[in-house]
Amino acid sequence: MSVPFLQVRRQLRAHWFRNLLTVGAVSLAVLLFAFLVSLIRTLDAQVEDSSGERVVVQSAVSLFVDLPLDYQTKIESVPGVMELTKWQWFGAYHKDPNSGFFPQFAVDPDRMLRMYEADIEIEEGPPGASGDLRAAVARAMAEEKRAALVGVKTMEKFGWKVGDTVQLICTIFPHPSGGAWDFNIVGSYSKKKDNVDDQTMFFRFDYLEDTFSGGDAAEAVGTGTYFVQTAPGASAAVIDGIDALFANGPQRTRTFTEAAFQQGFVSMLGNLPLFLGTIGGAVLFAVFFSVVNAMLIAGRQRIRETGILKALGFSDGSIGLSLLLESLLLTSVGGLLGVAVVLGASQALKQGLAGFFPNFEVGPGTLLQGFAIAVLMGLVAGIAPMLHLMRLRPTAALRNEG
Amino acid sequence: MSAFIELRQVRKQYSRAGETLVVLDGLDLAIPQADFLALMGPSGSGKTTILNVVGALDQPDAGSVHVDGTDLTQLPSKRLPTWRAENVGFIFQSFNLMPVLTAYENVLLPLSLTPLSGKERRKQAEFALEVVGLQDRMDHRPNQLSGGQEQRVAIARAIATDPAVIIADEPTGDLDRETATQVMDLLVRLNEEMGKTILMVTHDPVVAERCRRTLHLDKGVLVEATEGSGA
Repeated sequence: MSVPFLQVRRQLRAHWFRNLLTVGAVSLAVLLFAFLVSLIRTLDAQVEDSSGERVVVQSAVSLFVDLPLDYQTKIESVPGVMELTKWQWFGAYHKDPNSGFFPQFAVDPDRMLRMYEADIEIEEGPPGASGDLRAAVARAMAEEKRAALVGVKTMEKFGWKVGDTVQLICTIFPHPSGGAWDFNIVGSYSKKKDNVDDQTMFFRFDYLEDTFSGGDAAEAVGTGTYFVQTAPGASAAVIDGIDALFANGPQRTRTFTEAAFQQGFVSMLGNLPLFLGTIGGAVLFAVFFSVVNAMLIAGRQRIRETGILKALGFSDGSIGLSLLLESLLLTSVGGLLGVAVVLGASQALKQGLAGFFPNFEVGPGTLLQGFAIAVLMGLVAGIAPMLHLMRLRPTAALRNEG
Repeated sequence: MSAFIELRQVRKQYSRAGETLVVLDGLDLAIPQADFLALMGPSGSGKTTILNVVGALDQPDAGSVHVDGTDLTQLPSKRLPTWRAENVGFIFQSFNLMPVLTAYENVLLPLSLTPLSGKERRKQAEFALEVVGLQDRMDHRPNQLSGGQEQRVAIARAIATDPAVIIADEPTGDLDRETATQVMDLLVRLNEEMGKTILMVTHDPVVAERCRRTLHLDKGVLVEATEGSGA
């Protein structure tokens, strides 16, 4: 089969503007696809990587209603509970509210470090520490009330180093002095799993409690959540046990597995994955229809030329294949361009989304899928005009005035 | 003279808006090799249909079409394109050049179907353009050429693969008298010097006069045959 490649090349060049728009539309579709799929996967990974042996206790009223601190010892008494830590949102900023969001939590550091041993890696311990860095950080946090463990991305973003004292301004828990909260960084960590991120700052709950309670606060500090480590296979019983324990108050609780808690957190964003998927799907279809339209126009414009090629002796198959190749070439170039743009912009995207989706990552699998979709678009879009040209009788095609 | 092209009891009809139109009604026709035949007649008389069935662009409803010993009606439809590429060169009234290709590339196009090497194809395309006197217009696109030049490129394309038969459907129909004469000079040369068998449809008696023979058709049957100058 002899395909008129020269003709294909010249046709592409002759209709360069239309082809450029088609390539642009496909590359945008791939860009959007890669972005949205990565976002959805980031959200899903947070849930998937959550431990099935950790449960989260919050107020039955809302996540924003604190639980009393004396619940900690009561929860510890529930059969199946191995360990638990307070987990209180701090919501402060460094220097300027617009300087870049990063989460901070007041916890029981020694407990948190034990519970999350499989989830986070200590990258750097206190100055002079060697050997077991986790133990060194735990010791430093036990000794120093203002100690903080900070994710490597936040360290990098603000140029912080272990040993630095940093100031944070908090509006939820304003410092009694009216100034900033001081924290001494005793270590940095990186994530091992996607249920945690590289950005969070953990510090001692009692630093918050003691400092804040010593001020003019109208009420005592509570904790938004308790994170509880359960015995293997005991999470369901622990959930029932905790909620039953506080069924009659004073503050009713609602306990979830960590996965369900993460899922609930994602759902608070209004079922974002479904929303993103719907938009992405709609855009993909719109681009697909525009590619189909472009190829139908290309096919219609080529009826007389098809007649000439058939008269010269080109077979139906080679003529059809030339249009299909053209379609595949356009969408493949668009797909590659889209992949290149995603690769070029991935760092900027990661940085831009770091505040809300710290684990955002565009994986090679997603890029490959995006490119495959582009190729598939070209294949499907080229089939109808290809069949039309193949079925044309040469005499009918030569009579066409178009 | 034995028949190089032979049509036996060829019948072809078209249905249009529920009406059946018979364009060839049991036509018998024998054309010897190296003939230069003009077909004349009113619209709908079947002239172009004869060209189409001889050029394997269309199949008759009944009868047989033999070209150089091959019965085209017995060839599988998948083999017809290859047969066309090897045996027939087409020249159309409206030139039918590929607008996106240069004159040289247009002539090169049918050569891509031959087993020739790239170098041989280029040489052959240059030779064909030389034959029609357009070697200095090789890189021009059709829209950069005059009508006469476009038709000469189409002739170069038709002879590039050295086919035995040239089918010309009103090749001078869109040209002025002087240019038409130049195109006819060229076709006469192809017939006389290269031995091409040429079938040509024309409405112009002056053009038909230059062919060896002229057949007059009406309603799908031959009504008259006249001898031309053939020069």
